[in-house]
Amino acid sequence: MKTYIFTRILLSIPMVLIILTIVFFVLRVLPGNPVLAMLGPKAPPQVVKAMEHQMGLDKPILVQYANYLKDIAKGDFGKSTVTGMPVIDELKQKFPATLELTIFAMIIAVVIGIFYGTFAAYKLGSPIDVSARIYSIFVYSFPVFWFGLMLQLVFGVWLNWLPVSGESSPFMTPDKTYTGMYVVDAIINGQWDVLKDSLMHLILPSITLGVVISSIFVRMVRSNVILTLSSQFVVAARARGIKEKTVLFKHALKNALPPILTIMGLQFALLLGGAVLTEVTFSWPGIGSYLVSRIHARDFPAIQGTVVFFAIFVAIISILVDVINAWINPRVRY
Amino acid sequence: MRKLFGSLMALVLILSFSLSSYAISQKDYIIIGTTDKIASLDPAKAYDYLSDNILQNIMEGLVKYIPGTTKIVPAMAKRWTISKDGLTYTFYLRKGLKFSNGDPITAEVFKYSFERVIRLNQEPAFLLSDIIKKIEVVNKYELRIHLKYAFAPFINIMAFNVAYPVDPKVYPKDKLYNGIPVASGPYMVKKWVRGQQIELIRNPNYYGEKAKTPIILVKLYRNANVLYIALLNKEIDVAYRTLLPQQFSQIQKNKNFKALVGPSPFIREIVFNVKQKPFDNVNIRRAISYAINRAQIIQDVFNNQVSPLYTLIPKGMWGHKPVMPHYNLKKAIAILKKLGYSKKNPLKITLWYSPSHYGSTEASLALTIKNQLEATGLIKCQLKSAEWATYIDYWTKGIMGMFLLGWYPDYFDPDDYMWPFLASSASPQMGCFYSNKKVDELLLKARKETSIKARTKLYYKVQEILAKEAPYVPLFQGKQRVVAKPNIEGLLLDPVQIFRYYLLYKK
Repeated sequence: MKTYIFTRILLSIPMVLIILTIVFFVLRVLPGNPVLAMLGPKAPPQVVKAMEHQMGLDKPILVQYANYLKDIAKGDFGKSTVTGMPVIDELKQKFPATLELTIFAMIIAVVIGIFYGTFAAYKLGSPIDVSARIYSIFVYSFPVFWFGLMLQLVFGVWLNWLPVSGESSPFMTPDKTYTGMYVVDAIINGQWDVLKDSLMHLILPSITLGVVISSIFVRMVRSNVILTLSSQFVVAARARGIKEKTVLFKHALKNALPPILTIMGLQFALLLGGAVLTEVTFSWPGIGSYLVSRIHARDFPAIQGTVVFFAIFVAIISILVDVINAWINPRVRY
Repeated sequence: MRKLFGSLMALVLILSFSLSSYAISQKDYIIIGTTDKIASLDPAKAYDYLSDNILQNIMEGLVKYIPGTTKIVPAMAKRWTISKDGLTYTFYLRKGLKFSNGDPITAEVFKYSFERVIRLNQEPAFLLSDIIKKIEVVNKYELRIHLKYAFAPFINIMAFNVAYPVDPKVYPKDKLYNGIPVASGPYMVKKWVRGQQIELIRNPNYYGEKAKTPIILVKLYRNANVLYIALLNKEIDVAYRTLLPQQFSQIQKNKNFKALVGPSPFIREIVFNVKQKPFDNVNIRRAISYAINRAQIIQDVFNNQVSPLYTLIPKGMWGHKPVMPHYNLKKAIAILKKLGYSKKNPLKITLWYSPSHYGSTEASLALTIKNQLEATGLIKCQLKSAEWATYIDYWTKGIMGMFLLGWYPDYFDPDDYMWPFLASSASPQMGCFYSNKKVDELLLKARKETSIKARTKLYYKVQEILAKEAPYVPLFQGKQRVVAKPNIEGLLLDPVQIFRYYLLYKK
């Protein structure tokens, strides 16, 4: 098992390196000078040149690339051209918000996916099953921002039940920050009003993201459970007179879960990147909207840093998923 | 599964806890919502609207504008003198000035701050480095600045954020400072959650009049739609920058809010690359300027929330002379026909625009201009767009022949609307590449001249040449718009576009 984990980690290094290289060169091939984007038209040419020199952009591209690799190896992602702050510090500030939103969205997606998918499979061909199939197609095609906007209008403006934007109400941030995730920090601080406020702020964005993602899970769970329900061991369980509920959840679903979990794990990693539109719709201060705004500004260090950060994160998640799989099923080990 | 249900139930229980009421009274704070972003609160780097505006409320310089006017008055300097040749400025500081942390503000501090800006060489640094030759500390309360050349708007630059003092004990000499700013103005920063909100409280060490509301919270929204919904949801007290024109029109009809409109120094224009065919022909540029119907643009695209502009110097600023031709389709057609264009052989041009940099109305603006040009029947106009970073790259490389641009000034002086556009040394940066010796002469003379009357005459002459040669077509001037709950008072839409939080209060 140790060899397997070591090999998986080793194999992830070239993957991150390839992504890092592609991003580095694509950014430099695209039109758009980060210094001009930063300084705007007002700066005199000598200031532009001085800034290019300061940022090392006047060096040959291969030298820039070598320097970049050297810095990354040291854990230095560079400084943002927009704010002048170390990119790693900005990522550390933005990532917890995205992670928090993703976790809550994932919970919603998984709950809907498992229950709706399982019942649809159990009631194959019934109106529930038809509705599940319609749901998964219909919801998958929802434009996220439109769905979010509708929720904001109904629950925020018309009913005035829920906040429509941001991570917290004014003056309702945790006193001390430990993880950067407001829900967790509020619990650690014992600030129950802050906890309630954070949860209220999470409801609409995580429903938006969770519901859209749940469509994939409903479909996946449904087809896997249909398969397991027709297996010999389910027939045998039923023949033994075991309760239908137990057959469904303890036998069929449990056996259908491993492949679903694998995909859910990877989906979680992808979800982190896919949260962009939700973050923008709800002014959620996460990494997705950070990346988009920095692309507009051609903030090379920030864009490269974010992509590498994501790549490393996705690699870690996929290693974890593989390791869990290997642990469950020894046949996949090297 | 039971465990899951248990967790869900716990969540529901937590949600049902009653929200403890804020310890702060409603009257003690005002929440301002905006779609702008804060890049940096270090005066050596801040160069975007919101960063600057926060600094304008938490810091102060040697001089400042009287609220609601473009007149400059003493601030931290109680007075100043200018040498006869206009090359030396001496500032006499107030005594006992302190930063929010209690550190003293002296002439030495100003010298440190200005030299730091120049050394760091970030976005706004050129405003000082281009002009300042030497800074001299005469004594603790006397600062002398020697200029490279006589530059009349220098005093306006001293009112801009780039000239705000920073605490030498906190702000490193050769590095940007990213922490909580040390204030010298009416407010200081209490908490800054980057990308989300910034909380300002009264600065107890500010020498001037104290801010009217103890706490100001500025909340950042990702786009106009979220800001609009947050406003309707009563999440914020004030929305300043920027709702869409249609949203603002809706709010104007809503009795639950008050909507104010004020002047703005922001201008928009069409830029021609005068070195590129066919825009190197002055008659083509003139024909295009005759074909532009500003009234239609203002009504159809901006719901009458901007005003027409017929020169580069905005209305309300001295030196403004509306010289550009008004809409006249017949004249446009006559010029084009004279140049040999016909329906079969139309003038083929491309208009470039940046789809998001100037908001979501930009595509409609470009389309409206295209339709107006094509209404001559003798022009075929193609539209092309590029994202901002690419857009700047294209215009500086001279790729775009005709494109839409906007301008927001650094200092409130006609020089900032004339020099960057028309001076031979500056216009290539604007993508125009315009060069005229006579104009250069007049502009340089106006920079050195200290009398406003004499400068006005010089700028009138430059604008007359602008009308003849039409390297730009000024389109319209922006307006500031603010929406607030009815109980919010002290909203001042300043001509220099400083939104003064310290005047706001709740009735």
